[in-house]
Amino acid sequence: MKKTQTRSLMVLLMTFAFFAGLIYHTVNLWTHSVEWASVPENAHLSDSNGLEKAGIIYDRNGVILAQSIDGKRIYNEDEVTRKACLHIVGDDSTNIATAVQTIYRSDISGYDFVFGLGLPNTIKQGKNMTLTIDSQVQKAAYEALGSYKGAVFVYNYKTGEIICTASTPAYDPQNVPEDIETNDQYEGAYINRSLSAAYPPGSTFKIVTSAAALSTIKDVENRTYDCDGHKKIGGKEINCFEPNGFVNFKDALARSCNVYFAQLALDMGKETMTNQAQKMGFNSYVTFDNIQSAKSIYDVSKANANDLAWSGVGQYTVLETPVNMAMISAAVANGGVPVKPYVVTGFTDRFGNTESRNTKVKTGSAMMSKEVADKLYDMMDYTVQTNYGKSSFPESLDVCAKTGTAEVADDGESHAWVTGFCKNQDCPLAFAVIIEHGNSGYGKAIPAASAVLSAAVEQYGI
Amino acid sequence: MNEFIEMISFVLRLATPLLALIIVTICFISLIHGKRTKHALIVLEDEERDIIYPVYFWENSIGRSRGSDIRINDGTVSRDHAVLLRRDNGWFITDTDSKAGVYVNGDKTDGRQPVYIGDQIAIGTSVLTLKRAKDSVPEEERKRKKRQPVNGSVILSFITVYILITAAEAIINMANADVVLPALGFLVIMWGFYIISKRIFKRKSFELESIALMMSGTGIVLSASHDTHQATVQLAAMLVGIILFCFMIWFIEIPDRVMKWRLAISILAICLLGSSLVLGSVQNGAKNWIVLGPISVQPSEFAKIAYIFVGASTLDQLQTKKNLFGFIAVTGLCLGLLFLMSDFGTAVIFFATFLIIAFMRSGDIKTVILAITAAVLGVIVILTVKPYIAQRFAAWGHVWEYAGEEGYQQVNTLIYSASGGLFGVGLSKGHLQYVFASENDLVFGLVSEEMGLLLALLFGFVIGGLMIYSRNVTTRSRSTFYSMAACSAGGLLVFQAALNIFGVVDILPLTGVTLPFISYGGSSMAACWGILAFIKAADERTYSGKKLKPRKEKKVPTPDIQPDEIDDDSEEYIEV
Repeated sequence: MKKTQTRSLMVLLMTFAFFAGLIYHTVNLWTHSVEWASVPENAHLSDSNGLEKAGIIYDRNGVILAQSIDGKRIYNEDEVTRKACLHIVGDDSTNIATAVQTIYRSDISGYDFVFGLGLPNTIKQGKNMTLTIDSQVQKAAYEALGSYKGAVFVYNYKTGEIICTASTPAYDPQNVPEDIETNDQYEGAYINRSLSAAYPPGSTFKIVTSAAALSTIKDVENRTYDCDGHKKIGGKEINCFEPNGFVNFKDALARSCNVYFAQLALDMGKETMTNQAQKMGFNSYVTFDNIQSAKSIYDVSKANANDLAWSGVGQYTVLETPVNMAMISAAVANGGVPVKPYVVTGFTDRFGNTESRNTKVKTGSAMMSKEVADKLYDMMDYTVQTNYGKSSFPESLDVCAKTGTAEVADDGESHAWVTGFCKNQDCPLAFAVIIEHGNSGYGKAIPAASAVLSAAVEQYGI
Repeated sequence: MNEFIEMISFVLRLATPLLALIIVTICFISLIHGKRTKHALIVLEDEERDIIYPVYFWENSIGRSRGSDIRINDGTVSRDHAVLLRRDNGWFITDTDSKAGVYVNGDKTDGRQPVYIGDQIAIGTSVLTLKRAKDSVPEEERKRKKRQPVNGSVILSFITVYILITAAEAIINMANADVVLPALGFLVIMWGFYIISKRIFKRKSFELESIALMMSGTGIVLSASHDTHQATVQLAAMLVGIILFCFMIWFIEIPDRVMKWRLAISILAICLLGSSLVLGSVQNGAKNWIVLGPISVQPSEFAKIAYIFVGASTLDQLQTKKNLFGFIAVTGLCLGLLFLMSDFGTAVIFFATFLIIAFMRSGDIKTVILAITAAVLGVIVILTVKPYIAQRFAAWGHVWEYAGEEGYQQVNTLIYSASGGLFGVGLSKGHLQYVFASENDLVFGLVSEEMGLLLALLFGFVIGGLMIYSRNVTTRSRSTFYSMAACSAGGLLVFQAALNIFGVVDILPLTGVTLPFISYGGSSMAACWGILAFIKAADERTYSGKKLKPRKEKKVPTPDIQPDEIDDDSEEYIEV
């Protein structure tokens, strides 16, 4: 009998392993509870479920963007503000995947590990949530985009706070149009284009090509070219918008000479270009606050020489998200290292306990060296001075920027882009604006960006 | 009004795990108290050398080796010399192929021979006199101890309240009375079982049954809150299971009877598995169902019981031999059939049970390592020949990447377990119920979501507790057969629970086995009760309530202690 008992130790050990597994599962569930309960597939929280006692969502100035009253979700009283903030706040459904009301629904709906979603509504109370966005700037962005489809992304390149992440078309979350699924007007309305859409970047990509050239080609700044508007590179024509004449490196960026940068890309080759693009966030996602952007793409693996040349000016198959573009400008403003954006300031529970998020500034990996960043800083400054004029933007901000007018495959008007940053350290904003089929970066994107930045100036009183 | 009712439902939900914890605690404390303290049943006295060997167990190995229950340090004694065992009609000694032989009162023994108080047993050069324990152990070492098991009706009253609470919660949440009949049916069966068990079978304890009843009852109310038909099946299966449980307790009462039936049971195990291969229909990718008119049966569940019989009943005397050949052959056949049926979950359970039994019988870690190596090689061969089988387990470890396909069930289990919190969102209020196999394979998640993680974990710990208890009473069992059967049965339940729970929460690959007692599934429910009988039989008290008639006409050897004395006041205990 003693033998039997000694040998049964094996089974006892198995039982302890089983217990250890149960404990492991519990710890696992505890650490991932919010994440797991928050997935959009959770039927407890989708389709307007779970918002009955949800907390209030505030903007950075304490403006109420959404709150629950008598079991119903009530959004901001101003319709334009509601539409302007739709894509970051979200609506009752979980259709907008990157909205905080989708991603943090378990938090704001009163979820906690102990009671799960099992508390009765009488005692349930969701957490309040504060965002970094400014509803006035959002509104300005929405109005600046007007009837165009497009997006505006603005964030503080020193702290990472997202001031504005707006997207059109939008709809009113308080009165969701019944024809939203069928009406072309609302095509893609569930997508926050500043995060989840990637477009050909056009000339704004010259910042990337410049960074690659500055770090790999010796003496590139003295390279000159006499542009007559087109040149055969890699067997086919590369065109400029107009003949740029005799340009050096700095002027080539300012006047946006395609031939100059196409040649640079070809000279540097696929590997150097790909390396630089990947350092600057291409072929990966931007993630913050559990929100994941679309992927910016730079893939020249199958490109011929002419394709490679075109890729150097942001055409070919190059795609970029506005958020990534803003981060590149932020990196230029910040000595090569981008600060990561964030939108969630924190939560406050019913007992007044605050839970701050993003209290530390998070930086991404360096996109370029300090020297390269400083040179690009001056070049983007020079571009505004010589080409767009500092008065195109609110002058107090001293904006440095680069536009893009990206040709699109479907023969429609080109997409209008602008990205840049404010030199004024009292308002350290980096931004990217895309207006689909806006035709001209200078003509359409700069005024929109300027309107958004003006709203920001008003808010901060500079 | 609506809010008020919602609050009541919530309060009931808070009370449920607490009540379950109380029930389980009472049962396990009572089980611990029910265990006989270690005291000598009789003693063997070497008068010449003045050594007293206390005899503690129902079966004792005598020999020179360190592992012997009665270790005689004498060069003329074989390592495993003899076995001294107690049966209901007295004490016996069996020579286990010793060199020097065993002599009782000067006559060489052959086979099993009865021994009486005062007999002289010669083992090697040692001559041992069989004596009553109280004749040779000093007075001051004796200590009176009396521990009564907790009255079964107290535990059952708690379970009744527990079931009424969960049923009430379900009624509130569902706003209909669908659960009333199954819950009442359960209570009737439960109390009926208790009364029959106490009055007719004269059982003194009811803790193990209570634990199983609580879990079965939870499963029935859970089923009833989703599907009344399932609850009816579950209830009927529990009744069948209880009958099976009682039959098995009766059948294995006499270990010698089990030995006699061993071959027949081996054939039964193989036939059960073979039958589903021949007659079975494929459901959920495994061919393990036999449809008999309105009833569909999963014979592999019952084969588990037969398999434990085969493994644990051995003609060897107290593991003095290491011959596992017959058992390995049966195992090989069973595993082969299960693989043909594509029932990998059950195959793994059989294999784990094999390892437990093989090790407990042989004590040879090499056998275990060899078996595992063979199994790993076998699996590699199978995966090479049939690579699509691996596809079934492709999602393991990264279910979120396969959330829409192979990982769908696991991901939903995790989502809704997280949503349920510690106390659940309420019976019938969950969403996991709409996922395929939620009531059997995913039942751990279903309990987590609707009744809370605390209760779900408690069930896991209770099943583990059954195993620990089985292990704890090994040396108090009436035969090594019971000890081994109980450990194998407990091990099987734990392993199956582990496969079920860890499968759905993505710690192990999802194999689709049931959670003992709780999962929906008639065969599984009935078989679990059958398996529980092995654990119950290992408890000495199980058979102590009945007055046994001497089975043989010949002179009854002087019994030292009648089994019915064990819990008696008159019993003298000696703490060692």
